[in-house]
Amino acid sequence: MVQKKEGSEKLAALFSVKVGNISPQLEEVGREYFCADNKLMDEDEVADLSSEFVNLISGLLSSKEPHKRTTPQFHALEMFFSGLAQRMLMRGGNVEDVVRYTQQLQYSLISALEADSGIAFTQSRSVLLYFAQHFNELIMEIFHTYLSERENTLKAQEAELRETSTPITEIWDGVLTLPIIGTLDSSRTMLVMEALLNRIAKDHARAVVMDLTGVKNIDSQVSHHLIQMVRAVQLMGSDAIITGIHPEIARALVSLNIDLTGVTTRASLSDGLKEAFMRMGIHVSQKAG
Amino acid sequence: MSISGVHLTRIGKSNFLLEPLRSMNIQDQDVLMRDIAAHVQQEQGQRLYYDLNGVPVIDQIYYSWLDKLSRTCQALNIKMICINMQPTAAFTLSKLITTKPIFETALGVPD
Repeated sequence: MVQKKEGSEKLAALFSVKVGNISPQLEEVGREYFCADNKLMDEDEVADLSSEFVNLISGLLSSKEPHKRTTPQFHALEMFFSGLAQRMLMRGGNVEDVVRYTQQLQYSLISALEADSGIAFTQSRSVLLYFAQHFNELIMEIFHTYLSERENTLKAQEAELRETSTPITEIWDGVLTLPIIGTLDSSRTMLVMEALLNRIAKDHARAVVMDLTGVKNIDSQVSHHLIQMVRAVQLMGSDAIITGIHPEIARALVSLNIDLTGVTTRASLSDGLKEAFMRMGIHVSQKAG
Repeated sequence: MSISGVHLTRIGKSNFLLEPLRSMNIQDQDVLMRDIAAHVQQEQGQRLYYDLNGVPVIDQIYYSWLDKLSRTCQALNIKMICINMQPTAAFTLSKLITTKPIFETALGVPD
């Protein structure tokens, strides 16, 4: 009972303490994690970071409800760590450094407050528990930021890969080629279709050669999308020519009962281009002599 | 001759360009079909270019209208060709139909 009272007294003392200039002690931690070998920050930036953190923590401790983690003061701290994690990840740092920095900051903060006020906060379980609970939340926020950044990066890479794996090229005036490489799934087929139709409208393409040489597998849904893509191209008034169908894919199309009536197919991309040129009345010949 | 809801212009010797206006009401499709077909036939037209430039989406109702008009033209030996179909319209229509439509399609009116 006496211990509990003593603990809550220390906590009350923590909330009424006037936080002095403890920033220099906290800068040490920042320098250790961000200025050492990895050079993620310079000394001035670490000083600013520590000073901002001291202001925010001071705001939390002197707020009306320092226990709650729903207050604007605590939210500001979450934003501070989220921003820090984002900055470090963008500069090539890793999440482990940010988490270790935050943990170390917690211990240094308690020691600095103790040294500044003369109250033995490091001996109080209530104070240690209070900071542990708050800093755990802040570490969670760092992980959230890290995961969301990773997700955004992966999405961007995926989009880039999709774009580069389906390049639509105008190989001749009014003739587009679309070499499809890799696995075709429904979402990718839709993206290709959207890009292709817009390109036909933009370039006024009269023929589209879709080369499937790089496609090894096809399923029922995708084959339907493929036929749908051919139909959409034809509806826009262009000729669609499919080339490079592997025997495996041809067999799959037959077993899936896909109707290829009205779809022009050619063995290779070169045959497909010749067909497109022929339909457009273009004659390509070797220069005499 | 003026037909409510459409612009029908002669282009060349025997071609006609049909541009649907916003005011076109395909609920009155019987009257519209009769008037369009009669005009083109009277002027000895052989091709009817239907401009879909202002039609962003072709749904079942609009497709049915195009199909009926095309069949009417076919009965009078007039070829209907849909031109300037928008990517969004081609996308929705390709999902809707399972066979080739009766009308022809082209990027635009040939030079």
